[in-house]
Amino acid sequence: MKITFVKKILADGSPCRKCGDVQQRLDESGQIDHIDEVLIADERDADSPGMRLAAELGVARAPFFVVEDGGERRVYTVYFKFAKEVLGGGEGKASDAARDILDDNPDLDYV
Amino acid sequence: MAYEPEVAAAKFAEADPRDVLAHAVDRFERIALSFSGAEDVALVDMVADLGDKVQIFCLDTGRLHPETYRFLEKVRDHYGLDIELMFPDPEAVQQLVREKGLFSFYRDGHQECCAIRKIEPLRRKLANVDAWITGQRRDQSPTRAEVPVVQQDRAFSTPGHPLVKFNPLANWTSAQVWDYIREYEVPYNELHERGFKSIGCEPCTRPVAPHEHERAGRWWWEAATQKECGLHITNIREDDIKPARASA
Ligand code: SF4
Repeated sequence: MKITFVKKILADGSPCRKCGDVQQRLDESGQIDHIDEVLIADERDADSPGMRLAAELGVARAPFFVVEDGGERRVYTVYFKFAKEVLGGGEGKASDAARDILDDNPDLDYV
Repeated sequence: MAYEPEVAAAKFAEADPRDVLAHAVDRFERIALSFSGAEDVALVDMVADLGDKVQIFCLDTGRLHPETYRFLEKVRDHYGLDIELMFPDPEAVQQLVREKGLFSFYRDGHQECCAIRKIEPLRRKLANVDAWITGQRRDQSPTRAEVPVVQQDRAFSTPGHPLVKFNPLANWTSAQVWDYIREYEVPYNELHERGFKSIGCEPCTRPVAPHEHERAGRWWWEAATQKECGLHITNIREDDIKPARASA
């Protein structure tokens, strides 16, 4: 199994905040050890490795994870789901799960 | 037979909210109304006519306006209904405030605070029901133009626990809601008289001008950066993009 983590640099050159949050969670939990490759999707450069991979897979948001296993590739755009399904972690902190729900459903602004 | 929200959505697309609610309580025993303390009080009024079939809850973030707390109490007294207040996890709030202060949302965006103060308690509540009811309407903002009357809840459903969301007011306009409130003398939050169309947490809500849509009064300082999670790949050739199997 190969796991690729793609994080983003915004068009103005600044790092993506959400990507930083996810990186921090990976580092703090030690899950970073399971990541085989980290790619940068630089919005200023369509040829940056992360942008090319996003285009190839049709992914429209970052950060995201690509899990390659037995010739199959799966894409996760939600860290919580990735950690649970791929790394076999528990639910983790409830507030982290809530954050993932919100990030994945920006229309939740009705609550 | 399993409930099919799309079928119901088509059937009730133009229905009166009271008919939608009657259908909802007929189909779901464990059903709850999320009441925000704003003009969705019209739904509380409608639900009160159905007896105690619908649980009513409110997300008490700890940051609501004093007027809203007073209003919640008024509604509770007026209808004699239980309104369950869902509180955030105190440890998570304490950690957030300790590390980032009381107004981190102005600097870091509202998501972290909202996740702790709203989404986690909401998730906790919804884990114990099979359907819930919101006051969403299509006329509230451009992003809600497609809100159906009934839908599968995408955010909180899990493989083992599908959840249905009812939006009985989806096809009502703000004017219709207010006509209802006046006609039936439904109590309302005094903030509406001070220019608040949408009512949320005190630091994150402000009155809006008559020409603005009501959601413009929320998190106004973020307008320019809201799409941060999008990957702006428009400068990649369209034919480079192939469909992929996405798991999230
Ligand atoms: S609306 Fe503002 S105060 Fe309320 S939970 Fe969200 S960020 Fe926090």
